[in-house]
Amino acid sequence: MPDRDLGLIARRIAICLVLTVALAPVVWLFSIAYKPTSDIFASPPTFLFTPTWDNFRSVFRYFNLGALLESSLIIAIGSTALSLLIGVPAGYALARAESPRAVWLAYFFLIIRTVPAIATLIPFYLLMRDIGLLGTWWAVIILNTALNSAFVVWMMFSFFRASPVSIEEAALIDGCSDFGAFIRVAVPTVIPGLIASAIFCVMFSWNDFLYAMFLTKADTKTISVALLSAYGTKDISWGTLGALAHFSTLPIVVMMILLNRYFVQGLTQGVH
Amino acid sequence: MSAVSRDGAAGAHDADALSIGWSYAAKRQMFLAALAAPALVYVLAIAVGPMVQGFLYSFDSYNLIRPASRHFVGLDNYLDLWRDPTARRALINTFAFTFGAVTLEFVLGLGIALLLWRDDWFNRIALGLLLIPATVTPLVVGLVFKALLSPEYGMLGYPLAELGLTSPRGLLADPQRALAALVAIDAWEWTPLMALILLAGLKSLRTDILEAAAVDGANASQRLRLIILPLLMPAAFLALILRMMDAFRVFDIIFVTTGGGPGDATDTLMIYGVKQGLEFFNIGAASAVSTVIVACILVVAAAFIGVLKPARNRNA
Amino acid sequence: MKPFIGWVASLGVGLVVGFGLAGARAADKPYEGMTLNLASQNDQFAAVLAAIAPEFEAKTGAKVNVDILSYPELLTKITADYVGHTKGYELATVDIVWSGQFAEAGYTVDLSDWIKRDAAEIKVDDIYPSLMASLGGYKGKQVAFPFAGYANVLAYRKDLYEAAGLKPPTTMEAFVADALKLTDKSKKVYGFVANGQKGPAVAQDWMQYNRQFGGSILDKDGKPALNSSANIASVVAYKKLFDEAAPPGAADYDWGGREESFRQGLVANMQTWSIGAADYDNPKVSKIAGKAGIMLTPSAKGQPQEYGIGGWSLGINKDIDPKKQEAAWAFIKWVTSPAVHKELNMRGAGSYLRKSEMTDPELLAKYPFLPVIATSFEHGDGDFRPRIPQYPELQDLIGSAINAVLVGEADPKTAMDAAQAKAETLFK
Repeated sequence: MPDRDLGLIARRIAICLVLTVALAPVVWLFSIAYKPTSDIFASPPTFLFTPTWDNFRSVFRYFNLGALLESSLIIAIGSTALSLLIGVPAGYALARAESPRAVWLAYFFLIIRTVPAIATLIPFYLLMRDIGLLGTWWAVIILNTALNSAFVVWMMFSFFRASPVSIEEAALIDGCSDFGAFIRVAVPTVIPGLIASAIFCVMFSWNDFLYAMFLTKADTKTISVALLSAYGTKDISWGTLGALAHFSTLPIVVMMILLNRYFVQGLTQGVH
Repeated sequence: MSAVSRDGAAGAHDADALSIGWSYAAKRQMFLAALAAPALVYVLAIAVGPMVQGFLYSFDSYNLIRPASRHFVGLDNYLDLWRDPTARRALINTFAFTFGAVTLEFVLGLGIALLLWRDDWFNRIALGLLLIPATVTPLVVGLVFKALLSPEYGMLGYPLAELGLTSPRGLLADPQRALAALVAIDAWEWTPLMALILLAGLKSLRTDILEAAAVDGANASQRLRLIILPLLMPAAFLALILRMMDAFRVFDIIFVTTGGGPGDATDTLMIYGVKQGLEFFNIGAASAVSTVIVACILVVAAAFIGVLKPARNRNA
Repeated sequence: MKPFIGWVASLGVGLVVGFGLAGARAADKPYEGMTLNLASQNDQFAAVLAAIAPEFEAKTGAKVNVDILSYPELLTKITADYVGHTKGYELATVDIVWSGQFAEAGYTVDLSDWIKRDAAEIKVDDIYPSLMASLGGYKGKQVAFPFAGYANVLAYRKDLYEAAGLKPPTTMEAFVADALKLTDKSKKVYGFVANGQKGPAVAQDWMQYNRQFGGSILDKDGKPALNSSANIASVVAYKKLFDEAAPPGAADYDWGGREESFRQGLVANMQTWSIGAADYDNPKVSKIAGKAGIMLTPSAKGQPQEYGIGGWSLGINKDIDPKKQEAAWAFIKWVTSPAVHKELNMRGAGSYLRKSEMTDPELLAKYPFLPVIATSFEHGDGDFRPRIPQYPELQDLIGSAINAVLVGEADPKTAMDAAQAKAETLFK
């Protein structure tokens, strides 16, 4: 067997080991959904258990799963779309402005994302109260958009800086308008980067529970907030948590597996 | 509305008036400013207002339970923070955690990225699966690892304690090792993302340079050290700065696993701040903590940019 | 020829009957079309509350939405609601330890006058005075109405005590001695378990044991006395129990880990809230079904027999309009009325309130441990955890100090001295 094949096999074994480490805890989390409570924490731990559907039954009984997923989806998609709509042009503008001030502005957008929620939650809450959106999906979408768009600007700033200016210049000389050069020439070259940014936004909104917890009501609650309520005072309803985790994780996993090629391509562009 | 009509009017005699009045460069700058404006206005309107408000709270003694007694106290919240040994320890822990987590994730992530470099079906599927940990809500990650590391019921903790590899109390109740255990948990969740960004960087390398080096007789470690790593700098920069900013604000996994203990071994600034804000409703103190966190991130980011930018430019 | 007069007469009768019915309907369903949102802690009563709420709507017309929230979620959401005056929740479950804060902040309606006015209807005498005083009662105000009383009880393993030829303990001295005797580390059998995780978990459990050991968080004047010799002695005893009689991982247990260790059969003794008591005999959840007993918590020799109580009350948002406050009050009266409250418990709420429930044959048949809870409430004290406005900060100081002692980072006296020094600044 040639060396090259041996190397490939060794690499694949190593990758399988890495995957085992990465996936084992997730498999455990999913597995507790099928265990009766008395089997989840046997001591010493054991792999044996009597399978049960009880945990899924209680999820369907106590949670309005459809509504939770609907809220999560609407908030994630809504805020991602809005963030891209305003973030992409801004990222382009900062990248093409070619001035040190534009670079500083890009970093300003990045910093917005780093401000911890603890100081801003109450002001955000009062703001949403004052504009009358408290308890609606819009409140969360508007807030997530502010944080996500700041991030999109920064990401797209990097992507546009890495994409060549020369084609746009050629288009401009050919009589294309500034806006046309942006939409028809520049944007298509960063589609993968756009997808990458979108995935980051979706993941952020999907996993966020702090803002969603504060700003939603019972009927606009997201699934990440519901996950938190499986974690009570006296006890954690572990089985319920495991069952709920199926619904909170699988949609994102499917998205990752479908889109990760674009993700890689997009990032590849951004870091030239 | 008025903006549109003004633009329309400008557009109508754009050919003479504008091209005579303003240079192309100025027009271009205006166009770019117009593209940037919505995001800037939006962020200023929605995010910056409350953030400034939050910042201003840090100069007040303001407790939600006693809203009537709110008053200006200048820098007292910051001074209290400085005088509180718990807060100082939290600051040190935060830096230790961030440094440990980001370094570990970078080293592991680089290794994984190198393993996955080749673009084939196996690696594409592996990459998709590898990203799953990053999709689990951090709070749930904390709960899962608390259960797995338990010396009584944990699939990991039980054998480790039985073999005497950890204290009988388990990793999370061991003041010497709890922070390291949390670094490992954080690395479990975020190394894949780090690997992904580094992989993207690797894929952007031009293969001809590497082939030339191989032809010139450079061995694998030389190629990594002398060629790949320097060229990977921009991707590394992106990955490190993103992770650094998030690691600095680590909260969920610590909150559910140790609550900042054992002793004060895993108290971080966020744990401290959230306690002030959402347990004691002491908004003034919480805002001061928040400001300190942003300041620390800025300092570290600036240092980063200072160190990595020259390298980045050199290779550009 | 009856046409006209007859027609008018029948119209008149019809009108009277019609109005009469309408009137009767209005009196039957005085809150028709109204919606009350109730923020409920995710305890055992929550699901039952949600299931029973439609009966209130059928009766009065007011729809009650029960929003089931986790503890941190509940506290932050209702606080934001009260501070922002957003009227999101008309009703909320209020933890026993929030009484002082709520009284100081004035978030909820003071129910004292209404309770006095409706005393006969409520059958106030049937409610344990200790619950009325501590679940929502604070310095002459009643910021919420008691709803779910929990007693701190000792859950123990009948089989292990029998095998060792021991009787379950009635004094703290015996409790400690038994815990040590029943521990066999080589067989992984332990005599004791309590919360050790830093924060509220360890603080709340220790405060419970502390009073039973004869300590007290506050002195006679209501000022903190964390480093009193009695308190330090109880920290020493608590650490000894952790070191010599508890599963090693207990130093990082919160409520979940603690309960699990008992249900999995690792430990012989555990003090816990009565709400979980019914679980121990359920084989789906527990590996010790049929082997667990529930009894009164022990006290140190020479201490008065007092028992820790906890639980939840229902508070009415002060910002909502009077008509809704009235409806909310009607709901509270309804849900705590003897018949409805018994029904809640028949469905497994585990939340007791009334003396009549403790002697109810149906409830007793289902929950034979009720006499233990009755005695605990009879001699109950809701201030084992001081319900003062500074409680959250005090709990945090205690939670940090005790955890540091348990893991060997500080000795009891140093830790309690430092906590006391910080606590004093809260009371200036």
